[in-house]
Amino acid sequence: MSTITRTWKVNGKPIKVRAPAGRRLLDYLRDDLGLIGAKEGCGEGECGACTVLIDNEPMVSCIVPVGQLADGTEILTIEGVEKKRAGRLLQQAYLECGAVQCGFCIPGMIISSYALLPKNPKPPTQAIRPPLSGNLCRCTG
Amino acid sequence: MNKAVSQSGRLIGQGMVRVDADGKVRGLTRYLNDIDYTGMLHGVVVRSPVARGRFKALVPDPAFDWSSVVVATAEDIPGENVVHMHDRTMPLLAEVGGELLYRGEPVAVVAAKTIELATEAAAHLRVEVEELPPLLTLQDAIAIFKKTPVKFDSMQDQDIVKGDLAKGFAAADDIIEAEYWAGHQEQLYIENQGFTVFPLADGSILCEGSLQCPYFPVHELNDPLQLPPEKIRVRQTPVGGAFGGKEEYPTMLIGYAALPALKSGKPVKITYDRHEDILFTPKRHPVWVRYKTGVKKDGTLTALECDFILDGGAYLTISDVVMFRGILHCALAYRCDNLIIRGRVARTHSFPCGAFRGFGAPQAIWGMESHIDAIAARLGKPPHTYRRQLHVRPGDVTPTGQILSKENGSTACLDLALQHAKFAQKRRQASRGKLRKGQTKYYGIGLSFFAHGAAFTGDGEAKFKAKGRMELALLDDGKPGVNIRVSSTEMGQGVHTIFTQIASDALALDPARIRFPMADTGLVPNSGPTVASRTTMVVGNVVYRASQDLKDQMESFASQRYFRGAKTVLKNSQFAAKSRRPLSFAKVARDMLTEHGPVNGFFEFKLPPDAKWDQVTFKGDSYPGYSWSANIAEVEIDPLTCELAVTRVTAVLDVGRVINPILAAGQVEGGLTQALGYAIMEKMGTGQNGLYDASRLQTYIIPTSLDTPIYDVKFVEYPYSFAPPGGKGLGELPMDGLAPAIANAVESAIGKRLRTIPITPEDLFAALHPAQGDNTP
Amino acid sequence: MKTTEKINIRFPQTLAEALRLQARKNTRGTLLAGGTDLMVQWASGTPPPARATSLWNLPELCEIEVRDDDILIGAGVTHAFLGEAKPIHRHLPALIAAAATVGAIQIQARGTLGGNAANASPAGDTAPALLITGGDVLLASLDGTREVPLDEFWTGYRQIAARPDEIILAFRLPKKGSAKERFRKIGARKAQAISKIMAASRIRVRSGRILSAAIALGSVAPTPIRLTQVEALLTGQALTPSLVAQAEKLAQTSVKPIADIRSSAEYRRWVAGRLVRDALENL
Repeated sequence: MSTITRTWKVNGKPIKVRAPAGRRLLDYLRDDLGLIGAKEGCGEGECGACTVLIDNEPMVSCIVPVGQLADGTEILTIEGVEKKRAGRLLQQAYLECGAVQCGFCIPGMIISSYALLPKNPKPPTQAIRPPLSGNLCRCTG
Repeated sequence: MNKAVSQSGRLIGQGMVRVDADGKVRGLTRYLNDIDYTGMLHGVVVRSPVARGRFKALVPDPAFDWSSVVVATAEDIPGENVVHMHDRTMPLLAEVGGELLYRGEPVAVVAAKTIELATEAAAHLRVEVEELPPLLTLQDAIAIFKKTPVKFDSMQDQDIVKGDLAKGFAAADDIIEAEYWAGHQEQLYIENQGFTVFPLADGSILCEGSLQCPYFPVHELNDPLQLPPEKIRVRQTPVGGAFGGKEEYPTMLIGYAALPALKSGKPVKITYDRHEDILFTPKRHPVWVRYKTGVKKDGTLTALECDFILDGGAYLTISDVVMFRGILHCALAYRCDNLIIRGRVARTHSFPCGAFRGFGAPQAIWGMESHIDAIAARLGKPPHTYRRQLHVRPGDVTPTGQILSKENGSTACLDLALQHAKFAQKRRQASRGKLRKGQTKYYGIGLSFFAHGAAFTGDGEAKFKAKGRMELALLDDGKPGVNIRVSSTEMGQGVHTIFTQIASDALALDPARIRFPMADTGLVPNSGPTVASRTTMVVGNVVYRASQDLKDQMESFASQRYFRGAKTVLKNSQFAAKSRRPLSFAKVARDMLTEHGPVNGFFEFKLPPDAKWDQVTFKGDSYPGYSWSANIAEVEIDPLTCELAVTRVTAVLDVGRVINPILAAGQVEGGLTQALGYAIMEKMGTGQNGLYDASRLQTYIIPTSLDTPIYDVKFVEYPYSFAPPGGKGLGELPMDGLAPAIANAVESAIGKRLRTIPITPEDLFAALHPAQGDNTP
Repeated sequence: MKTTEKINIRFPQTLAEALRLQARKNTRGTLLAGGTDLMVQWASGTPPPARATSLWNLPELCEIEVRDDDILIGAGVTHAFLGEAKPIHRHLPALIAAAATVGAIQIQARGTLGGNAANASPAGDTAPALLITGGDVLLASLDGTREVPLDEFWTGYRQIAARPDEIILAFRLPKKGSAKERFRKIGARKAQAISKIMAASRIRVRSGRILSAAIALGSVAPTPIRLTQVEALLTGQALTPSLVAQAEKLAQTSVKPIADIRSSAEYRRWVAGRLVRDALENL
């Protein structure tokens, strides 16, 4: 085991990290920081329920060891999304369009959607499908 | 953030925003694994290493430090080692000396402070077995059924008989016979199964976790745990998807966790990871179904003989009722006066199959809707005109002798779907195995048409008497409102929202003053399990009537208390009497609670008095109501690679009154997507080692956002008038019929019928190039 | 403690530091890049190693250099970054297409070209597209850098030609020039699928005659393979329907795929030929 100390920004807030280097980012967020919005659906990088933004890129936090995230890394989780205007609008759209059913995949879905917007601010339906294909949903499909 | 439409009295039929969505989009909703329990142990289940064998001994490794580990075996079961499901054969944990009947059958539960320690300890328990030869698959069982029927081991038999089959075949001009197969399907809720069990000081247990049917464990674990129903309290946590997977199985999880919890006096939590969840929880039953049908030249179906055999796995659990629903749907949608349908549940040495959305009906409809196309083809009739000719409509008699009422929108569904999808025109473009001008891929279009019986089979609802309570109370904000107290669980389908809509309309109360707390058997009457497409129809009616009861009580109180007996009406969240200043709901509610103590509206569901059912002969009214649907699938098959894409799906549904069209459409699209997976991707079988061969998300393939076709979903409304607001079943219907519509579309694309699902490129290759391919069954 | 937490992971800041760690048996660790294969394997039952050496974001591995005839792509370049590196797209279209089929976007943001190659799965998505370039793998160690032709890189099922003290530095990939490339992956679904089979091709045709052909397949053998017999058949020949049919047939008889959870041997063998046809019909 090796332990790392790092300074990240999580949802805009500076965080001092001290953890085993091999701890999964998902566990660090949920167990150490209490950010339970990211979910574990498979633990094998397949379902996307644990998706968070790492330096603006959506990644599955269940297969990211915390030691690989350098000082200054910026992480955005579902808890931080509503602090951004685009995030709030996106959440509202999910509500109004009936996108939510059981809700378990939704934090990951919203993160992946949020990551798409800067690259493609007004995506047509067909452009939304590929970036969400890494978020499995069994209720709405 | 939630901008629920806050006008009362007219929410039914509106797309009200989900009451639970705000927490879900903000990541605030706490599912089981998001709840921090202190002082809890983690449980790990130790399992049989063989599919079948004599359980000789459970040997702990003497070198391992067992001091901080709790091990519970069958010897720790306080009472009789049997879980009540639909029979009394399945033990909670296997006993030394007995026979292990499936790979993964639980033999012990290990609990420790961390899941890692518990897992390590479990690995130091050696399960000694003497292996016996297993019968692993339905294919093996059917081989026996065909060759030596007396040796075929069925856990439950049931026949449906109508008319005179021999006479029917004698009257036929042609006889068409075929067999259809389908494999396992995994529910694949994204939240895995899990439960926490707290042992309480009075000897009772409190169980908290993800499930559909809070009262099941209350009544199924009394014998092994030696606890009466009132000492098993079950609370629902938010459910991250269920689809039947969290119907009967959570009882087992609670049983497993309860043993070390009772032994140690500490709470024990068991949560599965994805791999364990896929390997060791129930699946949809594989099916083999054979139809033999007699038809006249004009298309009249004179005789129908059907054998419907499910793979039940090693124990019956609830498979009898799955088979019942299956045979009741085997020939439901078409006119036929002479028929025999024989249902059987094969016993195999594999994990017991269980509930999955549709509950036997998708397997039945898969066979029947493929077969109807095959008959139409033999008759030289287009599949849609043949269905228009043969389908049942109000006044027709079902296989069990039920006369269909006017509240069956069968024809409307069929006609609207055909018209909306331009079926007849598009069918002319079908490739039939030869690319037409301008086509680079084989194009095909296929139709299915079917019903789904809503609510419990037969007189189930009459016997069950679903109960519900509308409770006047101070809500979380300290102000008065109403709690919906029923045992229906929110699992994504939207029951918290639609019951809020129903209650709001029935009470004429602002929905913001209505709450639907998570089901808790300590607080809710038994309105039954959240299954069988019964929730909106049956429990929705209970909520509606109990709300009316509460409204009556409050109006009568207000009339006496403030208006000298003048007629008083609760409307727009106010109590009004003629020429008096109206009083707010809050004022009246506060006064009533102060002066009366607890105030509740009640209702108990009844079926119409003339409903009849004979459970032995399967004659009578098999369901209180029927939902209907027609599905049309369009497919493209690449001749180069045999890859199959479903490009468009049209679905028209009669689910009675649509309470919330946005939620309904979402549920239909999701169900169709699950059915799409069943039809073309989700392949799973029992391997030679007794384990499912696809056991991870890398190998069990479900549709992604790139695989879903364009959906065109329409509703026609034929409400169930006996039980306002008149919803019929919705949850299962979209799962029922897409697979045969796709298989029919494939037939129209390549001119060959595939009789096994899922239909994969490998199967299409074998069909199109038989010389080169192996003959998959 | 979860299994991966027990691993002693080191985070060298430079390539030199990483090479020093890998040079000695008692400091050497499993090389860990984006973790999209290894973290999954360790989560699903493969015992994790005592030591790992992280190469994630190591600056020397994350560069792309476009040269006159070829392109150097650092082993640490992610699939997502390949997608964004527009200037190289026209030179290596098959590779870009292949990278876009790796997992979903979340995996593409983590998975690296070097990691995909080192994982040495016969189903590795980028391998056939690398093979058809005829390029090399640059392997670094304290002894210096050596080039191994991609054709010789995958030596057996999940085995590569790198020594334990070596780190994949980069891929030297000749540009396609006037050749035409094609990549096609057949999976069980349209996104996020491990391939049943895939094919990449780089074929140069002038005046109806095939000047050169490189065709590679994945998931039909213990390693990704070049279809050398088919290439030999095609080279120098006029592109005719009968040649296409011959090539299709030869591809089908020259591969010996196995059946597994993802597909059947028969289908793989047949579709191998079909993908060769597809390549030749789209020149």
